Amino acid sequence: MASFILRKAEPNDVSDILRLIKELAKFEQMEEKVVLSEKDLLEDGFGDHPFYHCLVAEVPKEQSSEGHTVIAFAMYYFTYDPWIGKLLYLEDFYVMQDFRGLGIGSQILKVLSETAVKTCCSGMHFLVAENNTKSIEFYKRRGAADLSSEEGWRLFEIEKEELLKMT
Amino acid sequence: MHFKIRAAAKEDCRQISRMIKELAVFEKMSDQVKISHEELERDGFCQNPFFECLVAEVPEQNKSEEGFTLVGYALYFYTYSTWMGRSVYLEDLYVMPEFRGNGIGKGLMSKVAEVGKKKQCVRLQLSVLDWNTPARDFYATKGAQDLTASEGWHFIRFDGQSLDDLVNEAPKD
Repeated sequence: MASFILRKAEPNDVSDILRLIKELAKFEQMEEKVVLSEKDLLEDGFGDHPFYHCLVAEVPKEQSSEGHTVIAFAMYYFTYDPWIGKLLYLEDFYVMQDFRGLGIGSQILKVLSETAVKTCCSGMHFLVAENNTKSIEFYKRRGAADLSSEEGWRLFEIEKEELLKMT
Repeated sequence: MHFKIRAAAKEDCRQISRMIKELAVFEKMSDQVKISHEELERDGFCQNPFFECLVAEVPEQNKSEEGFTLVGYALYFYTYSTWMGRSVYLEDLYVMPEFRGNGIGKGLMSKVAEVGKKKQCVRLQLSVLDWNTPARDFYATKGAQDLTASEGWHFIRFDGQSLDDLVNEAPKD
């Protein structure tokens, strides 16, 4: 049974965070879409007005996988719903394959929900790909509502090229 | 019709709250609006605001039937993509029905895109209800892609009881 700690990410963690971001993107079959660098992560997460917050899970050296002791992360930020106010938005949530089934994911979700409640958020939102049935089940077991199915919300995106045409 | 798009001021929150409720009525979810102008004033105009807002204003002589000069708004905030970095999320975009067809919606969106560009954002995201065809068509003309359709993304929420349960109970694995 792995022993692990959860803590706030520090500037030194950016290379591990990027590694895990790429692993998750690979699982989502979108690896080539990761264009973010360690420098971006450093600037955007650890400056005066961070764009994101990050939790990492760390195991002792003797339990490490290929020398990596940071084996999970959750990246989140605060958003706003004009009907109910502040929300915690979970952007990425990933545990390395070798370390699943040990309660790390559950513990991360628990800490995030505590953060949401402590910061007076009305809820926690995030996206899941519809073919990721394992994740959907994980969240539904914990009482999450699928708003795309239940309320018909569809996510839209306008990329930079089109944005520039609008300005 | 003459109109001006500008950044919202704290004093605008009552009008913004009015329009938020109008939009919620249109989205058939008016019973879900739980906050008022007070929360908007607190959360949008503090040191680290949780959102930014643009308003569309018409001159006195063009005011609405009920006497309002703020006739549209766009509420947005910054998000982060682990793939590409800084993004803008357009949470609400609304123009009062009697003022539509005058380019106000387009004006608000362009201004949000401009703000995003200044902050080096690489994309703008938003959510639309599946039955809201006018909105879906409007965004399609601006080059938006429906990621729910093309990539299968579903929008998930934990709130109220389910959020408290997460905090308090052990998961049932």
